[in-house]
Amino acid sequence: MAAVARCVPRFASRMLSPKLPIARMSPAMGFPRGSIRSFSQSAFLQAKKYTESHEWVELADNGKTAKVGITAYAAQSLGDVIFVELPEAGLEVAAGEPVGAVESVKSASDVLSPVSGTVVKGNTLLDDKAKAINESPEGDAWIAEIEVSDPAELDGLLDPETYKEHHE
Amino acid sequence: MLLLRRGPCLLSSSFRCGSLSTTFIRRNSSFPSNQFAQLASRDASKHQIYQSLSSDPYVNLSIEHFLLENAPADSSILFLYINRPCVVIGRNQNPWLETNLRAIQNDRVKDPEGINQDGEDVLYVRRRSGGGAVYHDEGNLNYSVISPRTTFTRNKHAEMVVRALHRIGATNTGVNDRHDIVMSLSQELQQLMGGNPTGFDPDTPRKISGSAFKLTRNRALHHGTCLLDSPNIADFGSFLRSPAWNYIKAKGVESVRSPVANVSTMFADALMPFSIQGTIENIMEEFAQLYNVRSEAVSRATRAHANDLELHAGDDWVAGAVGEAQAEEPDIKKGIDELRSLDWKYIQTPQFTFSTYPIEEDPRERPPLPPSLPPYTRAFLRCKHGAIIESHISISPDETVASEQARQVHEALNGRKLHELQLEDLHEALGRVSPAMGSNVVRELAMFLGRNLGCY
Repeated sequence: MAAVARCVPRFASRMLSPKLPIARMSPAMGFPRGSIRSFSQSAFLQAKKYTESHEWVELADNGKTAKVGITAYAAQSLGDVIFVELPEAGLEVAAGEPVGAVESVKSASDVLSPVSGTVVKGNTLLDDKAKAINESPEGDAWIAEIEVSDPAELDGLLDPETYKEHHE
Repeated sequence: MLLLRRGPCLLSSSFRCGSLSTTFIRRNSSFPSNQFAQLASRDASKHQIYQSLSSDPYVNLSIEHFLLENAPADSSILFLYINRPCVVIGRNQNPWLETNLRAIQNDRVKDPEGINQDGEDVLYVRRRSGGGAVYHDEGNLNYSVISPRTTFTRNKHAEMVVRALHRIGATNTGVNDRHDIVMSLSQELQQLMGGNPTGFDPDTPRKISGSAFKLTRNRALHHGTCLLDSPNIADFGSFLRSPAWNYIKAKGVESVRSPVANVSTMFADALMPFSIQGTIENIMEEFAQLYNVRSEAVSRATRAHANDLELHAGDDWVAGAVGEAQAEEPDIKKGIDELRSLDWKYIQTPQFTFSTYPIEEDPRERPPLPPSLPPYTRAFLRCKHGAIIESHISISPDETVASEQARQVHEALNGRKLHELQLEDLHEALGRVSPAMGSNVVRELAMFLGRNLGCY
């Protein structure tokens, strides 16, 4: 119910948005190639969502686990990433709580989990190669895999087009 | 519920609305320090300037963190503080590599004899922002600017401080490409300072200020040191040089070493003594220009150090002195406890290896071991979250014997937190290899490891 309520105003504003047709025509514009999956098989379920604080979350096909990372926009604005603090397996996080942190050019930034759940694992690729965050922030360089408590939580997050409108 | 909400509600209603409260605020009122949290979080507090009267780094860093988390999203804040002697490392650094743990207060001694948090020893602190290790003392001014993330750039506030330094006459200062403030020295001044640090080009500008940042969703914190007049400048290296730097290879962030100088060096021949408070006032003035702060806020702020923990507020500003009293504020106290916790200081350390011989992930040539140790001595540790997860300590040239020795020692060390290890623990672990390792060897090896790992 709450999720529905959250969706309605945003949907309304999108209906009114003059930018909408353009965004529709070219949903991948501005994002690195390959960062947006095509959802031709399931028209209603959009598995990748974004937060205002520049994280993304993508639900796996099993509908239970999700990968979490920082957006291409965030990676670019942070500059060269030199270290990623990964979460330990078993860590329980609530939506909006830190699930890791990224250091770049003397700057520490928390990575906030877009959804509640339990960490399955951190991405050990980043242990040895933090700069993968700059190369493939929305692909190989995901930060954590999370077993999602309530997949419906994703409904309250931004869809790719809305996120893009906010941050281009 | 009602009780809980009453205090803040009363306050915010008197601030926000009604002609009465407006007049109240326009009188440029003073407030007791226990209203700091409400004033700092008030929606109207667009500009805030504070100077801390505390020299406790845990208190100052936690007041700063409170401001980052709680001040209104569109506010701009200047916070100035001076810490007692301490070594402050970046969030993702390794204290065994970045500091000389045996030369500073390293939490290893439970019942301190002359070593405690309130004593004279140099404290070891890990901050929440990124970047490298620095040394602080009473001659080092820390400036901190918290501002909206959208308008933030990494050089903005270092340049603000440079303008303030130019105002006091240090016109040879500027920002370099590492967002540090550096000072170029004339040849006379270089000589006055006793020549150049080894390993650096004589014309390398001296670093006087280093920066670090913490970014949140809407806010950017930039804090920097500023070496104004440190009496210990010649000793910095002894605190920031690890005896184990030849042996440790750490993930995370390594510091970049720079030759340093005091701003006061510039004024060695001046008639007026160098004034730290004068510099503080100029930084406040420059902050006010950058963010269009009302002059009454600046004049209150510049007098802050003279008044005991008094706060002043106007329609859209807060200014004044803060300090130990703020440590009572629950959110700030929580921050202090977190920074003081050994989990934060040590367990937060990214994974690292300590090895007296070249290994695949750290193939550097190693210096010869002390002659008091057997020639085939090998010592290797791998630590994750500050605990030993892998080790090889042996003295035999024979691989089979060596790995049996290593196995015995590892049984005692496995899972132990490195910051909790005392010399006697090392003795105990090495003693397991008896009689192959004689008591002399056990003692010498324990001493060697203890020296390098900060054990007493």
